[in-house]
Amino acid sequence: MRNVSIAPLIERRLRWAGSLIALGLIVQLTTFIWIHPLAFIAFAVIACPLIGAGVLLFLYSLASHQPS
Amino acid sequence: MMITAIRVEVLFVSVAVVLTILLATRAELTRVRGGKILAFITLFILPVVAVGLGYSEHMERATSTEFCLSCHVMHDFGRSLYVDDPSYIPAAHFQNNLVPRNHACYTCHTDYTMFGTFHAKLRGLRHIYVQYIGTVPKPADIRLYTAFNNRECLHCHAGMRAFEEEPKHIKTPDMMSRITSNQLSCMSAHCHDTVHDVATINNAAFWKGGQ
Repeated sequence: MRNVSIAPLIERRLRWAGSLIALGLIVQLTTFIWIHPLAFIAFAVIACPLIGAGVLLFLYSLASHQPS
Repeated sequence: MMITAIRVEVLFVSVAVVLTILLATRAELTRVRGGKILAFITLFILPVVAVGLGYSEHMERATSTEFCLSCHVMHDFGRSLYVDDPSYIPAAHFQNNLVPRNHACYTCHTDYTMFGTFHAKLRGLRHIYVQYIGTVPKPADIRLYTAFNNRECLHCHAGMRAFEEEPKHIKTPDMMSRITSNQLSCMSAHCHDTVHDVATINNAAFWKGGQ
């Protein structure tokens, strides 16, 4: 029973981490379309924090996971 | 089809997106050992590499002439590169390929010091702030933050025979040392004092080539 209750929690976090990273990477891809200062700003202010948050959430989910 | 860095980066990031979406929708894959390895690669290694590639790409783009001239206020500075008059120093350098045309602004306006690129980026961020949040000055009112340092000219010209043997540069015995020590500016009056000169740009004739 403990495995069943812990597994969904880490999987939920992995889903969130994956979603944040995917969103950040998609923003990063779109910034490659233009050679413009705003493209750089979008990369630095939107894409990087989203990807960073996703990676940190992934690492946190690993660190906080307590295997039975 | 030519393989360029940007194509490789787009392909890499696209693969990362697909794998990340796969894991975001099928997190139960991580219940097995192979899934755990896939998750580590997809949610840690690929994003970190992708950000590194993106940073590198955007830093490279930030040195391009197209990037610098993408703000409207820089339009006349871009036009000044095509003035049909060799006394315009930026135009003479640009039209004769003395600076790479696709990095023309950056080549002269970065600092050739240890942290020159970093300082140039900081100035660029300030320009973005002024462009979108601050008050944009008229092109003719734009000035350098500090006087142009001869170091930037000497990065290429130092040691050049044409520079060192130019009679105007050795008119007095100490002239060359004053130039190299930045005591006498390359842009002093009667030297190379015609630079972008955007205030009178509408009266200038333009070179039709190189477009």
